Amino acid sequence: MTFLSDIAHLLITADLWRATLEAAALLLLPALGGVISERSGVVNIAMEGMMLTGAFFAVVADLALHNPWLAALVGIAAGGFMALIHAVVSIRFRADQIVSGIAINIFAAGMTLFLVNRIYGLQDIGHVGQSNLLPYVNIPILDQIPFVGRVLFQQNVVVYAALILLVLVNIVLFRTRLGLRIRAVGEHPQAADTAGINVYAIRYGAVITSGLLSGLAGAFLAIGISNTFVPNMTDGRGYIALAAMIFGKWRPFGAFIACLIFGFGQAIYDANSVIHVSQYLLSMLPYVLTLIVLAGIVGRSIPPASDGIPYSPGTE
Amino acid sequence: MGHSRLKFLGMVGLALMLLAACGSSPAPASKTYKIGLVTDTGGLNDKSFNHLADVGLEKAKTDFKVQGDVVESHSGDDYVPNLTHFATLNYDLVIGVGFLMATAVGTVSGQFPNIHFAIIDGAGTDANGVDLKHPNVQSLYFSEQDAGAMVGVIAGMLEKEGKSKKTQHVISAVGGISIPPVNHYIAGYKWAATMEDPSIKVLVGYSNDFTDPAKCKNVANNQISAKSDILFQVAGGCGLGVLQAAGQAGVYSIGVDADQKDSDPSVIASALKKVDVATYTAIKNVVNGQFTAGALTFNIANDGAGYALDNITLPADIQTELDNVKAKIKAGTLTPPSDIPA
Repeated sequence: MTFLSDIAHLLITADLWRATLEAAALLLLPALGGVISERSGVVNIAMEGMMLTGAFFAVVADLALHNPWLAALVGIAAGGFMALIHAVVSIRFRADQIVSGIAINIFAAGMTLFLVNRIYGLQDIGHVGQSNLLPYVNIPILDQIPFVGRVLFQQNVVVYAALILLVLVNIVLFRTRLGLRIRAVGEHPQAADTAGINVYAIRYGAVITSGLLSGLAGAFLAIGISNTFVPNMTDGRGYIALAAMIFGKWRPFGAFIACLIFGFGQAIYDANSVIHVSQYLLSMLPYVLTLIVLAGIVGRSIPPASDGIPYSPGTE
Repeated sequence: MGHSRLKFLGMVGLALMLLAACGSSPAPASKTYKIGLVTDTGGLNDKSFNHLADVGLEKAKTDFKVQGDVVESHSGDDYVPNLTHFATLNYDLVIGVGFLMATAVGTVSGQFPNIHFAIIDGAGTDANGVDLKHPNVQSLYFSEQDAGAMVGVIAGMLEKEGKSKKTQHVISAVGGISIPPVNHYIAGYKWAATMEDPSIKVLVGYSNDFTDPAKCKNVANNQISAKSDILFQVAGGCGLGVLQAAGQAGVYSIGVDADQKDSDPSVIASALKKVDVATYTAIKNVVNGQFTAGALTFNIANDGAGYALDNITLPADIQTELDNVKAKIKAGTLTPPSDIPA
């Protein structure tokens, strides 16, 4: 049972919780994007592809411009552009949204690989210098608080941004007129249309926003945490974010809690060098935790009523 | 009149056909050998063994009359279709890169008994990992433990002499997935480091991944927190995160497979697995009609494994010890283990 004492020892180290929050923030951004998109009635499983595209273009831009902020904007825009494709296909042409999402994920993986080969040949894509990465920022005074300071206030600038966006998205969705419209469009688009809401505009906006958020997550991964692009580096995070959105019952804070659980599992796993137990057993941890939480606490998740149904006026 | 014109056309047609037939049966010496290379999910830009396999193929293209084609796999589901693609086109040799393709090579080589296959780091196996021993499959194995031992000597000597960054006698390795080619490296590394510095502690962690630098970086940061100051990455593209973590923490790192000197200033050495040599040799054998089924092992003695010194100038005594250990492994008086020592 030495591994239990190893884990107990880990639980009191601030670094574990810091890593948990960082991993959670990385999942939270696409999960928030998913919440917004699906609340408006457009199923979005393409966060993975949008994230990967964002990661790639952020690195390309950073290597060319030597400016992490501009590079992050390029990554965000690239994610938004992929979302625009999804929006046109699923809103304008009323295609199956699952198929469109899968297509975007496959397209993003192929396109980034192709562009890597085109732009950089078979050479190393290159590494962004330390000074051109999205910085880790210590919040003055607060970062001196023992334990909590290390966990909450010595994080990457994108982690702070993700937490602010979490609050913001929650307020917009549930406390503003715009949020009410988004939710109305996702629940009953015919009624919303009758009430004078532009269903298409709301849905386009929501889907593109999900791409912007996913693109930011990609930029964070590639030029915040890492310093280069590796094909398929998002490694399924977009899908995990999708799961977090569902476990969170299409609510921002619910999704955040799910992200924290996944992040915690990942952080424990990453400490496998100092835990005396099979790494295979550890790698199951996030999923076991998820099952427990899902079965024990969350209960049934019900998506917005018109989620995944293309809207065409007059088809009641 | 019309009749004789038809006759003339017929004669011309016959002559053309004869000419065409001559063109399509060249002398055997000028045959162009078609070689198909299928990468694993790491892709050609992994700066590691997929990249090196391609380097070997390119070298073969300049030395022999070879047409080389590469298909990259994006997921594990692509292996069988990609291998089948080259097999149905009657390629002279289909090369699968990587241990993860073992089952796929086993399956496809069974379906195409007349096509020659080679696989890097594995054999053609069934779903349970049992070698099917197909007579058309050549396994290209490496003694990664030889390369691991060389960088292990460097790490062990630096720790023993107090020339590492923290001088706590703790070093570490980050593996991608716990599979034989990865563990061979770590086995040689730990064995040699312990041989040079008996008081050393060697931490071993895994990232469960070969493509995501962020995961390896977190594993590395945990090891750095546990006082490791020399980190050996054995995780392909994921391992770039180890090199980055070491650089940010101001400690040393060691690259893998290819020379990773340029990936980060913290890289002091790289353990080399010369997949290019192996790929080139396999193609050369096919061109010379010397294809053999079964295992072909590349090690330090036949220059299929080795090391490169990177962003460090080694003290003379460490270089002497390196040469000494290398000579002993070549001579067979020292044998690095293939399983990680306890």
